[in-house]
Amino acid sequence: MSLALPRNTALAGISRRAWLAVAIIAVAAILVALCGIGFGSTWIDPRRIVEILLGEGSRGERVVVLQLRAPRVAIAILAGGAMAVSGYLLQKVTRNELASPGVLGVIGGAGLGVVIFLALLSNESNALVTSIVWQPVAAMVGASVAITAVFLLSGQQASSAVRLLLFGIAVGAVCKAGTLILMIVGPIYRTTQASRWLAGAVNEINWGEVQVVAIGLAIAMIGVFAVARRLPPTDLDEVSARGIGLNLPHFRILVFALASALTALAVAFAGGVGFIGLMAPHLARLIVGRPVLPGIVASFLLGAIMLVGADLIVRVLFAPTEVPAGTVTAVIGTPYFLYLVLRRGRTNG
Amino acid sequence: MDKAVSVAALTVAYGAATALSAIDLGIPRGKVTVLAGPNGCGKSTLLRAIRRLHQPKSGEVRLGDLPISGLKEKELARHIGLLAQNPSAPDDMTVEELVRLGRYPHQTMLQPWSAADAEAIQAAMFGTGVSHLSDRRLGSLSGGQLQRVWIAMVLAQETDIICLDEPVNHLDMAYQIDCLDLVRRLNREHSRTVVLVLHDLNLAARYADRLVFLKGGAVVAEGMPVELMSEALIEDVFGISCRVITDPVHERPLCIPIRNSSPRFRAETAA
Repeated sequence: MSLALPRNTALAGISRRAWLAVAIIAVAAILVALCGIGFGSTWIDPRRIVEILLGEGSRGERVVVLQLRAPRVAIAILAGGAMAVSGYLLQKVTRNELASPGVLGVIGGAGLGVVIFLALLSNESNALVTSIVWQPVAAMVGASVAITAVFLLSGQQASSAVRLLLFGIAVGAVCKAGTLILMIVGPIYRTTQASRWLAGAVNEINWGEVQVVAIGLAIAMIGVFAVARRLPPTDLDEVSARGIGLNLPHFRILVFALASALTALAVAFAGGVGFIGLMAPHLARLIVGRPVLPGIVASFLLGAIMLVGADLIVRVLFAPTEVPAGTVTAVIGTPYFLYLVLRRGRTNG
Repeated sequence: MDKAVSVAALTVAYGAATALSAIDLGIPRGKVTVLAGPNGCGKSTLLRAIRRLHQPKSGEVRLGDLPISGLKEKELARHIGLLAQNPSAPDDMTVEELVRLGRYPHQTMLQPWSAADAEAIQAAMFGTGVSHLSDRRLGSLSGGQLQRVWIAMVLAQETDIICLDEPVNHLDMAYQIDCLDLVRRLNREHSRTVVLVLHDLNLAARYADRLVFLKGGAVVAEGMPVELMSEALIEDVFGISCRVITDPVHERPLCIPIRNSSPRFRAETAA
C-alpha cells in the first residue's frame, strides 16, 4: 500500500459533479423565472426585466413587472422549492422514493388548517379579521396534526414505509373531505376562489405574502441545513444507523416536523400543489446522486422550476382564464407516481 | 480478568415478556466472546442490550467504569461498533460511501471530514480486503463481499469493542469461514474486543476464546470452549443428545448431534 493516501478522489469527484449539476439547474431556474415574469398580456424581454428589476423602466413597466408578475413568480419559487425540500427530507428519512408531502397527508392537513383558519377568522365580507401572518401558522398546525396522526396510526411499524404511506393517503383523504365540507357549509363565500387555491394557484399574490413565506422559509432552511449533516446515516436500516450513532426514530420525528413546516409554508399561500414534493427530489437524486447538500439545493431549484413552469403553462394555454398551476403538476405528477410504483413492483417483486 | 464490558443484574423485557432476567456477565478485553444458545434464549437481546438498543428494566451495562446509560449516542458509537443482523443499505450506494458512514460518530459540526477519517476508511477497506471494490455499487457484490464491506464500515468506526449479531447466518459455508477468520484476525491484529452471536455451536466452539451459553433469558454457563462443550451441558442447553469429539484440524471441541432430546419435541413426535 502506498504511503500517500489519496484523499477520496472518487468521492471528491462525485461531489464536484453534483455541484456542477446544481449550477446548471440554477441557470435553468433563473431562465424559467425570467420567462415567468416576461410572459403575460404583453411579452417583456428577459434583458428588459433585469433592467427593470435593477431600477430602470417606465412607470407602467415597473407596475406590471414589480407589482403584478414578480410576486407571483417569487411565491412560485419559494413554494415550489419548499415543497420539494420537504419531499427530499421525507424520502430520505423513510428510505422510500414514494414518500412526499402529498402522499403522507401533510398537504391535506395543511390545507384543512388554512380552511379552518379562514372559516373561523373571516367576517361577512370575507376579509380576514386577523393578520395574514397567522395563515402559515394555521397551515403548520394542520400539517403537524396530520403527520402526527399518520405516525401514531402506523404505531410500532412507523419505520415500515408502506404502512406510513397507506395511512398517509388515508389521512390525506380525510383532510380533503373535511376541507370540502367546510367549503360547502362554512362561511367562506367565495367558494370558487377557495377551491382554486386548494388546487394550487399562485395568482393574486402580493409582496406582503411573499415576505411572510420568505421569512418563514429562511428560518426553516436554517433547520434543514442543521439536520442535513445527520441525514447520511438514514440511508441505513434502523439498527445500523443506531450503531453509528444516529437514533433514527427520534431523528425522524425532528425531520417530519421540519418537512411539515416547509409544506405548510408552501400550502399557506400557494395552495395544495401536488406532486412537486414527489418529483423534484426524485429528479434531484437522479441528477446529483447521494450527496446531501447538493441534493437539497437541487431539489429546491427543481421544485421552483416546476411550479414556475406549471404556472407559465397554465397562463400560456388557458389565458385569460386563471387555471390553477396545481392542475399541471397533478397531470404530470400522477403518471410519474404510477411509474414509480410500477418500477418498485418490478424491482422488489 | 480485565473486563471491557460488564453486565450487572441486567433484566430486559418486551412488554410483559421477560427476555433477560438478572444477567451478570463480564466480557474480557481483547478476546472473542461468543454468545450461544437455542432460539429465543436471549443471546441477540443481550448483545443488543450491551449496545443499548434495548432499555433495561433494571440493572446496567458498563464500559470499564462507565455506565452506558450516561453516554450520548455518538459517544457510545465511538466505543462500540455494531454489525446488525440484517443490515441494509441502498443498492446504488458505493462501497466507499458505506465504509465512510463508519466515520459518522467521529465527525462534528466544526470538523465534518478530517485526514484521520480518510486514513481510517482506507485502513478499514485494506484490512477487510475490499480496497479494490471501493467504487463498486453494493447491489453488484456477492453476499460474502457485502458482509466484508459491512465489517469494513464497523471497523472504520475505530471502536475498542465490536459486536456482531449472527454475522454468518445467510452466508455460504466458505464465506462463513472467511468472515469469521477475518473477525478473528481483526481481534488478534488490532486487539479489538469482539462479541459475537452465533447460531452454529461448532463455529462458536472454533472461534470463541470465551463461550457463553444462554437459555431462557439466563446465563447457564460460561468459560473456554473445552470446558463448556460437554455432552451433558449441551443436552441441557440445546435439548439435543450428542457426542463431543475433538476437531482433528483445529483441536477444538466438535459436537455431533444425534437426536432432539427435548421433552416437548418427543411429545410432539410421539403424538
